[in-house]
Amino acid sequence: MSMRRSPELRPTVWDGLTALAVLLLALGLAFFQWRGGGESGELTAVVTIDGEEADRFAPAELLNAPRTYTHNGYTLEVVLGVDYENPPLNALPPVGTSGICVAVSDCPTRDCVRTGIISRGGQSIVCLPARVIIRLEGGAADPDAPDAVLG
Amino acid sequence: MKGRIFCLWTALLLALTGCAMTPADPDTARESIQVIAMDTAMLITTYGERSPAAAYACEDAIRELEALFSRTDPDSAVSRLNAAGSLELSEEETELAGILRQAGRYYEQTGGAFDITVAPVVSAWGFTTDSFQVPAQSELDRLLPLVDGSAVTVEDRAAALGPGQSIDLGAIAKGYAAGRLCTVFNEYEVPRALADLGGNVLAWGDRPDGTPWRVGIQDPAHPDDKEALVGVLELADAFAVTSGSYQRYFEQDGKRYHHIIDPATGKPADSGLTSVTVAAGTEAGNGAMCDAYSTALFTMGEEKALEFWRSQENGALFSMVLVTEDGRVVVADQIGRFAFTPNEDSGYVYETVS
Repeated sequence: MSMRRSPELRPTVWDGLTALAVLLLALGLAFFQWRGGGESGELTAVVTIDGEEADRFAPAELLNAPRTYTHNGYTLEVVLGVDYENPPLNALPPVGTSGICVAVSDCPTRDCVRTGIISRGGQSIVCLPARVIIRLEGGAADPDAPDAVLG
Repeated sequence: MKGRIFCLWTALLLALTGCAMTPADPDTARESIQVIAMDTAMLITTYGERSPAAAYACEDAIRELEALFSRTDPDSAVSRLNAAGSLELSEEETELAGILRQAGRYYEQTGGAFDITVAPVVSAWGFTTDSFQVPAQSELDRLLPLVDGSAVTVEDRAAALGPGQSIDLGAIAKGYAAGRLCTVFNEYEVPRALADLGGNVLAWGDRPDGTPWRVGIQDPAHPDDKEALVGVLELADAFAVTSGSYQRYFEQDGKRYHHIIDPATGKPADSGLTSVTVAAGTEAGNGAMCDAYSTALFTMGEEKALEFWRSQENGALFSMVLVTEDGRVVVADQIGRFAFTPNEDSGYVYETVS
């Protein structure tokens, strides 16, 4: 006895589109998970004041204007800096490491200013009197870079 | 058509539910928190499914210890002990007895090079309040008789100081706190973590890629250059602490005065060293030990430090890296547990001793 196939069971264009939509959805979600919730990605400066995140920005934004943070009676000015490997006049454009630094602070220790330029994810500038921490996150991963520095 | 829409919505629901219920990968799930406590900035990064809860439990533990050990908080157990000369310890304060016992042990072992009763002298230099000054010799002569770690007595529920004495746990408290974090990590089943407590590092487990944590040692000659290292320690399940003359100092009349006070002279230790790094495994008590030893060995100087390391089986307990004023890096490591990679571009001469 032969059975005739029901036309309703044949795949249609709509079935194909549904399958495609499900596939795209799955790929999209997989990509979202693969990104790891933003753990890597662009280099970002995260500023915490007294333990609370107060600001988050790309270092390049400092080209427009420095950022100023005031807390605990002290004020810090954060700027984009270049740590020149050669005197600026000897090389055009100057060769060096660019990063962020605290250019001015009226805190008593000025450790934040002395820290100099930070340029790599994981590095931070701390101002204890103002209770401000500026930390770089993300950026290119370097397996040989130290995870922490003693000192 | 209804069937297709149902299929699409079901797939979406399953996908989203699956996304939310996917167990966190202990190699990638992590939480980083920054804490300002104990007069320093701390960064704690925990991994594993319970990493957020673990990180915040770490902060709670550190705050609890700070509330006990702070010398500037008038309500802390240490402040009350300093003010009254003796203190009955409540059940919540018994941890003070524990750290005082450890401090007493390190005082004995180091022949007084580590001494928490140096507090009045540290204050005279202004390092407690950041109001720096060079005290007169007459003032040091008046204060030095108060520096005697053997006069501190500890019982389970009580502690007492000698007449006129006060204590400062600044050279041991962060290491002790690092040791406490091990308890938190065990409790929260943290597979790996890195806690940087301002010169005190706890490397718990290994890195997500299975290699040891890489912990740099700052070049004391270039303290303002974060990239300037004398070398890198590879650490797994280890504490490491650095004490250096470049970490805190002030200048007066063209002379630099650093914060590591020699209990014997009452003056910044002039030992020929610029930094001392001590590393040891995560066995109980070693966090405080590394902290205390790094200070004591800095005060002792190279020769006595090496002698101390070789004696009392200490060589089997900890590794150390000494940086000298004359441009040498002395690496003492009998365990072979912590690899040290020198920075050949640093300009230092590297020596390994056994």
